Amino acid sequence: MKSFKFLTGKYFLKVAGLLFVLALFSSFIKMKTEDKNLEPTTHIVTIFRMKFNPENLQVKKGDTVIWINKDFVPHDVTEETSNKWTSKPLNQGDKWQKVIQKDVQYYCSLHKVMKGTITIVD
Amino acid sequence: MKTNRNYKFAIICMVFGWFSMGAFAQDTPKLADDEIASVAVTANQIDIDYAKVAVKRSKNKEVIDFANTMTTDHTAIIDQAVKLVTKLGVTPKDNAVSQSLMKQAKETLNTLNSVDKKDFDKTYINNEVAYHQAVIDAVNNILIPQAKNQELKDLLVAVVPALETHLEHAKMAQSKILK
Repeated sequence: MKSFKFLTGKYFLKVAGLLFVLALFSSFIKMKTEDKNLEPTTHIVTIFRMKFNPENLQVKKGDTVIWINKDFVPHDVTEETSNKWTSKPLNQGDKWQKVIQKDVQYYCSLHKVMKGTITIVD
Repeated sequence: MKTNRNYKFAIICMVFGWFSMGAFAQDTPKLADDEIASVAVTANQIDIDYAKVAVKRSKNKEVIDFANTMTTDHTAIIDQAVKLVTKLGVTPKDNAVSQSLMKQAKETLNTLNSVDKKDFDKTYINNEVAYHQAVIDAVNNILIPQAKNQELKDLLVAVVPALETHLEHAKMAQSKILK
């Protein structure tokens, strides 16, 4: 009986220990996944055939957007409402990047009909 | 007003005269690739020449910005055409279409240089709208279908979105100037 109790106690401890390790492991994985979701990411907008592609982009606050000009004519990326910032002209193959902190409406000031938007999503 | 209408009509006739008579097969110019290259370079150079006059004569920022973009973009298009013909070993060949474009451009340049300063902006921008529309039609309906070399055809196709954007940009400037 004593031996049975001892075995039961030993078995219980092993299971409890195993469950504890599993719980730790699963919370570690969850933490890593959440961290990954919070990490800023990078988005690419290509400028090709006189269009920003994608024209309308959704990002998280703090994400980086890189614009790449693939046209043989120069373009720029300029804030539209009051020209708050601009990339300056980008020649073919040139890149320019910006960290996005709020919604943005932008355009190419060299070809004023070329427009794009960036929207912050949760 | 009548002068402007006549001027606009003349512009449309000059370009459409050559390019937009596709309905009459006997009037559609038949062009070889070396002639297409010449027409493409000439048409781009003409718009650069118009832009130079605009930068010299206009005081309107909208017009000057547009003209500067025309110079930059059409120069880039000519560079691409020159690169391609050099690669293909083709020499652009003067032809009746490029000669006619040059002749009409000379008349338009005379008008742009002599028009009263207060009428310059609307004369220039009206011409830009008509010219780009005519060139787009010509590229789509004559130059692309007749181009035999695939790389030349591809370059002409790649140029169309730039011309269409210029047309929309010109229309936007026109709507502000004619207010």
